[in-house]
Amino acid sequence: MNVLGLILRELRHHWVNSLLVTVGLVIAVALLVAVRMTTAAAERETRRVMRDLGFNLRIIPKSTDMDHFWSHGISDQTMPEEAVQRLAAQHGVFLSFNHLTPALEGRIEIAGRPALLTGIGDTIVDSKEGKQPMGFRIKPGQVFLGRAIADRLEAKRGGTIQLGGREFTVERILGESGTDEDVRIYGALPDVQTVLGQPGRINEIKAIDCLCLTADQDPLGQLRAVIEEVLPEARVLQLTAMADARARQRQMAERYARFAVPLVLLVGAGWLVLLTWLNVRERRPEIGLWRALGHGSGRIAGLLLGKAVLLGVLGALAGYALGTWIALAAGPDIFQVTAKGLRAEPALLAWAVLLTPAFAAVASLLPSMMAVAQEPAQTLRAD
Amino acid sequence: MIACEQIEKRFPGPGGGVTALSDVTLTVDRGEFVVVKGPSGCGKSTLLLAMGGMQRPSAGRVTLDGVDLYAQSANERNRVRAERIGFVFQLFHLLPFLTVRENVLAGLPPGSRIGDHVAHANELIEQLGLGERASHRPGTLSAGERQRVALARALVKHPALILADEPTGNLDPANAAEVFRHLATFQRAGGTVVVVTHGDDAARYATRTVCLSRGRLVPASSDSANPPRSPSTSSLAAS
Repeated sequence: MNVLGLILRELRHHWVNSLLVTVGLVIAVALLVAVRMTTAAAERETRRVMRDLGFNLRIIPKSTDMDHFWSHGISDQTMPEEAVQRLAAQHGVFLSFNHLTPALEGRIEIAGRPALLTGIGDTIVDSKEGKQPMGFRIKPGQVFLGRAIADRLEAKRGGTIQLGGREFTVERILGESGTDEDVRIYGALPDVQTVLGQPGRINEIKAIDCLCLTADQDPLGQLRAVIEEVLPEARVLQLTAMADARARQRQMAERYARFAVPLVLLVGAGWLVLLTWLNVRERRPEIGLWRALGHGSGRIAGLLLGKAVLLGVLGALAGYALGTWIALAAGPDIFQVTAKGLRAEPALLAWAVLLTPAFAAVASLLPSMMAVAQEPAQTLRAD
Repeated sequence: MIACEQIEKRFPGPGGGVTALSDVTLTVDRGEFVVVKGPSGCGKSTLLLAMGGMQRPSAGRVTLDGVDLYAQSANERNRVRAERIGFVFQLFHLLPFLTVRENVLAGLPPGSRIGDHVAHANELIEQLGLGERASHRPGTLSAGERQRVALARALVKHPALILADEPTGNLDPANAAEVFRHLATFQRAGGTVVVVTHGDDAARYATRTVCLSRGRLVPASSDSANPPRSPSTSSLAAS
């Protein structure tokens, strides 16, 4: 009988041990798959939720009168629009910044009352990460109106308003925010530059930081160092509470993954080593018999390791199916914003089928080698 | 055929360990049926395992047809065992997940073409009265039947030598006698048999009996080789 036939017969005979080993592998793989899928979902959810909080970095001209800035919320100085291109072109800039959005803001009067006018340019993102630009995308000739402005003008979506002698279509009316957004009008950057008489100029680059560092790690100092090198005519301000929340959330998700994955691996390995050791111990008379019958260490190790590999493949397949099912069943309740992003990851199946048998074989290696390294008489007398 | 030359076997342990064999010299010629008799713990099994290339002596040599077994590599000893030596053990050592026929065929040397030996295996199974049990698993067999399966497994490769360690230790007198008859048949056909046992019933089949006591070969009449029998041993011998 060939080795595979012997392994299958032995699996059936010692079905309790085989079942326990398989269950151990299935649980380990299922946990890893579920943890991996839910960790990815948690990171996605975190990014989405944090992104919805808005930009947390403001890059303004260095010559800005900061008293004016803090009292008005707008820089009184401008810088060339190409500054954003220069920043984006700097090697490694996306390690610190992302979603670079040029903006020009100014105060205007509309219907005899003050309002804020903000021109938003095209957002530049790291092309390697394939991220969608965040923030508004406004076409030329269109505006988004804050709730209070819309009420004041009795504007409706699809209607028009006059700004600087030009007519603009109301594309969207924003919900009430309880902030100065309610008296803000958003337009395309070139339009607003024309209305404010500042062609080719911006007074702010909005951005999001890398979410890598918390407040105690001085992220602002690091960001300022980058800006000093790339845009010496600018300074960077960070909305620290928001940035810190982002970083903490992200770090929490990463720490969770760093804790959970090794723990599952460790428990799975311990379980497997214990069961393999018990199985090899139980089979010592059998090993002794094969030695007495003249079979070499290679064939006997093949019997023991072959069983581990076979159970590893079974455990990988069943564990992947179970882990995926758990993640898909429980995920939508946990990650409500990105629930649709939860999907089976075939790449995990490939990794599981490759690594689980290897893992099982490595766990079986020591007891197997110990068994075959002994004198035949020792194993034969083990009963 | 097989010779032990001044072999010694010490097992390490507390208090200097245990000397299981001491200065044992024994030569078994081709066609002999030698019984090594002695009480439990006298070193019989150790001697048999050393003769079978399964336990390296601490000193001395074991030669098979003039070749020192322990001067060979482990792989060469494996091949010698696989092709030339059949083992029969007191506890049968059958593989519980294989049928009787498969257990018998498991005794073939590694790499053998199973199909070429099935007829011979079936013949042995019939000769040993196991024909109706060929597809059964060991767990459903009696002790006597299990030992006959083990005997068939030892015989299937046409060995030159059979080493049997207390082959009837777990059998009733009738089954024990049957096992010895089969071993004697093998010996009369030209094979060589070495049986180690603490009982007396093998002696009637033997061409020679030697006694082992406290790890040393002693004259057959030595009292130390024939300690008082336990009730079970006495009844077995008397039957």
